[in-house]
Amino acid sequence: MNKPVYYINGVGSISPQRTFNNDEFLPEISSYIENKLDCVLPEFKDYINPIQLRRLSRMLRAGLSAAIICLRDSNNQQPDGIITSTGDGFLRDTNKFLNEIFEFNEKQLTPTYFMQGTHNALAGLVALTLKCKGYNNTYVTSGLAFETSLHDAMMQLNADPDKTFLLGALDERDDAQYKIHLRTDNYKKEKINSRSLFDNPTRGTLQGEGTCFFSLSGQPGSNVWGLLKDVKVIHKPENANEIRSALHEVLTANDLRADQLDVLVNGVSGDVIHDQLLAEIVETELSFLPEVRFKHLCGEYCTASSFGLWLGLSILKKQVIPASVLFNGKKPKNPIKHVLLLNQYFGRNYSFILISSC
Amino acid sequence: MSPRVFVTGYGIISAIGNGSEENFQSLVNRKMGYGSIEILETIHREDLPACEIKLTDAQLYAIAQVKNFSGYTRTALLGVIAAREAIHRAGLSQQQIRKAGILSASTTGGIRELEKYYFELQDNSLDGYFDVFSDTGNPGEHTERIAEVFGIKGYLSTISTACSSSANAIMQGAELIKNGIIETAICGGSESLSKFTLNGFNTLMILDKEQCRPFDKTRSGLNLGEGAAYLVLESEVSMNASDKKPLAEVVGYGNTNDAFHQTASSPDGGGAYLAMQQALKMGSVKPASISYINAHGTATENNDLSEGLAIQKLFANNVPAFSSTKPFTGHALAAAGGIEAVFCMLAINKQMIFPSINFNQQMEELNIAPVKDLLRDVDLRYVLSNSFGFGGNTSSLLFGSVENE
Repeated sequence: MNKPVYYINGVGSISPQRTFNNDEFLPEISSYIENKLDCVLPEFKDYINPIQLRRLSRMLRAGLSAAIICLRDSNNQQPDGIITSTGDGFLRDTNKFLNEIFEFNEKQLTPTYFMQGTHNALAGLVALTLKCKGYNNTYVTSGLAFETSLHDAMMQLNADPDKTFLLGALDERDDAQYKIHLRTDNYKKEKINSRSLFDNPTRGTLQGEGTCFFSLSGQPGSNVWGLLKDVKVIHKPENANEIRSALHEVLTANDLRADQLDVLVNGVSGDVIHDQLLAEIVETELSFLPEVRFKHLCGEYCTASSFGLWLGLSILKKQVIPASVLFNGKKPKNPIKHVLLLNQYFGRNYSFILISSC
Repeated sequence: MSPRVFVTGYGIISAIGNGSEENFQSLVNRKMGYGSIEILETIHREDLPACEIKLTDAQLYAIAQVKNFSGYTRTALLGVIAAREAIHRAGLSQQQIRKAGILSASTTGGIRELEKYYFELQDNSLDGYFDVFSDTGNPGEHTERIAEVFGIKGYLSTISTACSSSANAIMQGAELIKNGIIETAICGGSESLSKFTLNGFNTLMILDKEQCRPFDKTRSGLNLGEGAAYLVLESEVSMNASDKKPLAEVVGYGNTNDAFHQTASSPDGGGAYLAMQQALKMGSVKPASISYINAHGTATENNDLSEGLAIQKLFANNVPAFSSTKPFTGHALAAAGGIEAVFCMLAINKQMIFPSINFNQQMEELNIAPVKDLLRDVDLRYVLSNSFGFGGNTSSLLFGSVENE
């Protein structure tokens, strides 16, 4: 049996940078100085009708807009199924509802906060908007939520390569969660400029958010961004060797040697402890590659690897690496064919995503 | 021909018992879990009765066999308890457990502990043991805990599609096996009662203060429940390598979206119809071959009408026996699909159909009625289990007996 091929036929990204216009590629970089990165939002009315718009929370608006951007980009307005992923869900509505529970002593609460705080709210909203009665699923596998949703889409396409799945990741930043994670050193104690995330390695990272959608199919569309070749996940590896074996498995399974890769997208978070294993892998296995980083642009969140995938696909499609993301100054080969994304979330969840040009 | 996937074990804890034997006895003896809330701290203990597991967290720690107060949420503890029974019943070896996948579903994970320490956790001047609950609002956290207790390394995934979540986890386990990614999947879900969900459902005005009455004319809402349940699924290869006898086969499944309303089902049950139809199609099973449907049957006005109409449409004049077991366990949200999948296993293995208790008056809109009394000695060749949720998520699982193979 031939190895199945998964085409990424469209993307849509809303993040703390200006990423919603697919004709541009990181035209300007926003800096954040409070260790919290909020999305740069598009004009929602370009994507959502006014009646629907009024009813939706900020992040549901962003998620639905990213889905519409992706659909338009793929020139395929009717997917066969919708798969979303989120680690923490709609944190602001969840926390608003929690606050009301305490403030009003469990009486006369706002149902909208509960309804729009549900983790599958976006998958339901997109299905409703597109009248898509097909497959619908939501993954909340903490720092591997996006990766497990990719696996689902790949398996769905193994069963029927002619189908198209709209895949979306979303996580939202919230102050309550910021304070809570500050206790456990997951965010930096000292305030830094987000652009200098990697300058002085200390404990903790920056709190980010974002939403990215991808159109996946076993058949090429009219605007292919790249091929999804492999997705590998590791939960709580015992040591760097466990990650190293996974890397070699990914390369072997795709008939590649490390020196055939063109760009490394490194999901280090600027946390001196949590980045240790990835740093060791990069230093011993992949140090010769042009290295791109992205969490100084989007911050850390459970589904941040979706921003990494958007970045990798943009590099493949535009054949250029913006200076704002190139970390080690190494020039890529021409053309750029294979991009490997490594990610870690809070030192617990690790993943590899391999993408290639057609 | 798609590879076959078998059920080789199951485990459960719910308001009607710890373990499948206790649950079975309650189902046979019409013992319900409904009553005032005693463990969860809430002002609604008397006015919003639920199907609560009457065990404190300290008791659950002991049953789960994990170190006391080591940061496990109630959801994680329930999950560990049910998964342990499932693994034990399947007789999995250490090697199999290590290479297995765990797919657990939850809508809110450990939000119960997050809400308990919500203000303390945001106060940097306080130090405390509650730090261990800093990330438990994340629904994926409980799955990581379960994986760590048993040393499961093969695959890990958490699904949250509201009330259909664990049906989708079972589907995903079967898919991972069919795609050769894992040989063994422990899949289902876990959910504990919390202020968040209790108040959430209360604001939606779909909680009945009385015992819920699925498919009854007088139904007026659901009772919430809590619990956890898992199936162990194994590949054909894995079955052939041992002399284990499977308990049932996962013959088919369907996952669709109603695409009608954010929290309500469509009046004609379009999504439900499609999900059941897909499950039958995947298993190449004719509607006439279905012996029993464990309905979602929450007892909300909306669900039972929509589901009832979908069943009538699909089965026409040949509607099989169906019942909702929600009056026993309450609606355990993300765990409901797992709990009801275990009940389907019990039904198939014991050749019984468990009743829809609290059904008395026929719904005018339907010409079908659920099974009211326990049926014994029924040959259950194929059984459907429905799970529907907010966001239009509709899923249906099709299990087959392996008795005659």
